[in-house]
Amino acid sequence: MATLNVDYMLGLVPVLLKYLPLTLEMAAAGMALALILACMFAVIRVLKIPVLNQFTIIFISFFRGTPLLVQLFLFYYGLPQLFSALTAINGITATIMGLTLHFSAYMAESIRAAIVGVDRSQTEAALSIGMTNSQLMRRIVLPQATRVALPTLMNYFIDMIKATSLAFTLGVTELMGATQKEAAGSFLYFEAFVVAAVMYWIVVELLSWLQRHLESRLNRAYNR
Amino acid sequence: MITLKSLRKQYGSTVVLDGIDLAIEQGEIVVVIGPSGTGKSTLLRCINFLEQPTSGHITVGDLSVDVTRATKKEILALRRRTAFVFQNYALFANKTALENIAERWQVVDGWPKEKAHQKAMDILERIGLKDQANAYPASMSGGQQQRVGIGRAMATGADVILFDEPTSSLDPEWVDEVLGLMKQLAAERQTMLVVTHEMTFARDVADRVIFIDGGRIVEQGPPNEIFQNPQDPRTRDFLQKILATNPTGV
Amino acid sequence: MKSLLSYLFLAFALVVSAPLMAKDGPLKVGMSGQYFPFTFVEQDVLKGFEVDIMDAITQEMGVDVDYVTANFSGLFGLLGSGRIDTVANQITITDERKAVYVFSEPYVYDGAQVVVKKDNDTIKGVEDLKGKTVAVNLGSNFETLLRELPYADQINIKTYESNIERDTALGRVDAFVMDRVSASQIIKDKPLPLKLAGPIFSTLTNAYPFKDTEEGRALRDRVNKALASLRDKGTLKSISEKWFGIDITTP
Repeated sequence: MATLNVDYMLGLVPVLLKYLPLTLEMAAAGMALALILACMFAVIRVLKIPVLNQFTIIFISFFRGTPLLVQLFLFYYGLPQLFSALTAINGITATIMGLTLHFSAYMAESIRAAIVGVDRSQTEAALSIGMTNSQLMRRIVLPQATRVALPTLMNYFIDMIKATSLAFTLGVTELMGATQKEAAGSFLYFEAFVVAAVMYWIVVELLSWLQRHLESRLNRAYNR
Repeated sequence: MITLKSLRKQYGSTVVLDGIDLAIEQGEIVVVIGPSGTGKSTLLRCINFLEQPTSGHITVGDLSVDVTRATKKEILALRRRTAFVFQNYALFANKTALENIAERWQVVDGWPKEKAHQKAMDILERIGLKDQANAYPASMSGGQQQRVGIGRAMATGADVILFDEPTSSLDPEWVDEVLGLMKQLAAERQTMLVVTHEMTFARDVADRVIFIDGGRIVEQGPPNEIFQNPQDPRTRDFLQKILATNPTGV
Repeated sequence: MKSLLSYLFLAFALVVSAPLMAKDGPLKVGMSGQYFPFTFVEQDVLKGFEVDIMDAITQEMGVDVDYVTANFSGLFGLLGSGRIDTVANQITITDERKAVYVFSEPYVYDGAQVVVKKDNDTIKGVEDLKGKTVAVNLGSNFETLLRELPYADQINIKTYESNIERDTALGRVDAFVMDRVSASQIIKDKPLPLKLAGPIFSTLTNAYPFKDTEEGRALRDRVNKALASLRDKGTLKSISEKWFGIDITTP
């Protein structure tokens, strides 16, 4: 059996580390925007606001129903064929926008399910003291739904971090793209991808820790 | 003060409220009794539009609404003049007792947080739960939760508080403390419309008792008349049954 | 909603300011960074035959060069959407591509080569690929070359984004097809157990594709001028010998 080139692996760590921030920044930006969009979509779907509801249903259907790579291609290469103005958007922005739109569709459904899961009497009590729909969503229902949706939403965030690897097709070098290029240069595939895998793994473990912390804070109100 | 005219509620072909006519004076304590599933809760829930009534008129104070043409603004106004106490307390699970009570002032009336919290503290004091101010519903007993629920209703300063079987979900040990608070409110001349099976409360506190069966008001009057001299056979039947299981005597 | 609007606004602002950007800006060149020894990365530095040639060309042209790396499958999208000016990734001149792009003069003359695992004695050339599984890079023209063989339907052709060399070394596929030059280099320099199988079975000329617009053709002409003078100076030959030991820039 061939031996592992540990020196190469160690030498690769600072190189790949340079690209980790971009991966995380794109995922974080995408997550923040997707969360906002998803909450809006979920509330629209739950309250069945006319016109917006139909639009949301079609949006969710399309962005859940087509692969992310296809969406990125359409947006980054396809649409500029029709609207040359769109070439001004750079690869990083396009990746973030693609991640946002794609994942917001999934997250909207998770949040909607969580909202529907909140006991109806919470809504009724809020209505009975004279709150409007948007007030009760914001103050009472969404906070309680968030607690239920948190694990699923965190899963999507983890998926998003890994999905940033598609950015390389748009010409953006992030962690995965850098690893592929280095491996292509050295042909030490195992070593290179082990280093990358460990980096992703550490990041995700940190997120899991964050999730546990958030959950215990959100659960404060519900401990007997 | 509160007037219901020909209030009807129909689900498909099932008629739950068959034309209710009712007038309640300011400061009046009205208790509604009757067999289960005959529309008592629905009546309450129609007044603040938690259910959409099918036809009729609702008047609260100077606000008069034709239910078939009620606008969103009117419904909101109706809800802001009434308050509701739920059978399962329905406290906001993500808010403390203090926040539950303050919510109306803070969010609906737009008061600054400190002011709302201050006044909420006063209410907690009045209902004897100051020590639970920062507790969440999950850690409170049923009786405490319901009292906070009543406090939340009090904070609305509503013209009328609607009580939907407020003690039916409580363990017997908590029933008295909740009834005690309700009696306190009654003594302060808060207008109350109460649906309940607690006949002692009805006898001791009510100004008027209304017996509803089959979605209609069968009989109504001062408590001693209804309990001691029920006119309608259905009333007599019901009272016999409920007092057999509730041998506190009337 | 607000963020979407601000992105659209940003896009609009960038478009409006585009004409103000310098015309003789850098030449934007796309490559995959995953094609040893033409374009690859070592310790975060982009290197390779393509990089050296393009550096020489842009120096001759008197402009800067901006390298954009992307997965091979994204390179033509970048070119088509005008985000790069050309692709330097051993792009073979084919009729299909000529219909859409304009090419510079060729700068590499090469051939398609079958490569197998070192201990494979059953495949001695392209004619032995019948009934075998062969890997090619997605979007490259080696797939087309294989499909043009009379017995193409007896070959199981698998397209990959990358790593065809590794999968052949692992035995997942029976062979891969790539240009002879890089294949030789891979075998020479890198620790994979592979060998060439048979002579080249199709000559390829590689050149730089440009968009078929006035601007694209003008850039192409300037690149051709630079190529010609580099050829005369012997620069192309010396870069080629540095990477391959032979001159692949002449037929």
